[in-house]
Amino acid sequence: MATPSPSDHLESNSIDLNKSAIVAFASRFDPQPYHLDADAADQSIFGGLCASGWHIAALATRLVIETLLDNGLPFVEMTSVSQLKWSQPTFVNDQIRVRVALGESLEESPIPDTRRQRLEIQVCNGNGAVVATMTATAAIASEPALAAST
Amino acid sequence: MTDLYLRDRWFEDLPVGEFHVFGSHTFSELEIVEFAETFDPRPESTDPDQARLNHRQGLVASPWLVTAMWMRKMVDYMEVYAQGVNDGRRNGAGVAINDLHWLEPVRPGHTLTYTYEIIAKPDRVIREKWGLIRSRNEAFNQYNNKVMQFEIDILAERQPKASDDPQQQ
Repeated sequence: MATPSPSDHLESNSIDLNKSAIVAFASRFDPQPYHLDADAADQSIFGGLCASGWHIAALATRLVIETLLDNGLPFVEMTSVSQLKWSQPTFVNDQIRVRVALGESLEESPIPDTRRQRLEIQVCNGNGAVVATMTATAAIASEPALAAST
Repeated sequence: MTDLYLRDRWFEDLPVGEFHVFGSHTFSELEIVEFAETFDPRPESTDPDQARLNHRQGLVASPWLVTAMWMRKMVDYMEVYAQGVNDGRRNGAGVAINDLHWLEPVRPGHTLTYTYEIIAKPDRVIREKWGLIRSRNEAFNQYNNKVMQFEIDILAERQPKASDDPQQQ
């Protein structure tokens, strides 16, 4: 598979976000009323039960990993996020997917046998509205076969 | 001063330089695997045997698990200090993070200690009632090496003016 050129936007599949997934994540990592309880959430700044922003970030990263692997880029690990903005809440039974643009590639990396790849990530809901944007750097294996052969 | 809880204070009451240690967490192999099964279900991230062949030469916590645990430690910390305080409205949602770096791998059995420091109060008013508290947040492992850092802007409710709804006071 050809490696995408820097101008390409890669599109992910979508993930459904149901109430039990939202509540399960929030119970573990972000137990605040607007992520746990529908009545409390209706009265909150968000106006309804919605996913933790960290849940969205982690799910988006899963979609980024799958999308890069599908496009021949051997993702190893996310190493930094220079900016992450949450622009609107993601509510129960919404879907999320990501659009990834490849930025510059850097030779030096903190992880051996990898390079770093800048990624511009848009996280969209089922209506195509942007719910978050993330500028991240990921370590990419220098040689695709390395992880499997060593 | 020290007996005041974060949520019991308005935006105006929160001083730059205030510092908190939210607490510590030891990451088990099980929770590292469970998180990866949902958010990074590659065999080298979920199977301890296959993980020995990965670039970290072993199982490591997903970066977002390390960061999500910061959120949990913050919520737990605030609840302890919130006893008797019913007003959760004054502390709102996070809106953006900057300069998040995962500096070292977190492996099963590692213990991280999470810290928080208010570093700025950007001069912005959001939806008429919120201000922004910018904090620097760090996590240190059991060797006292910094493994994560980021800044986050969190909404904090501004003190209503005297002409506003007196029940807000």
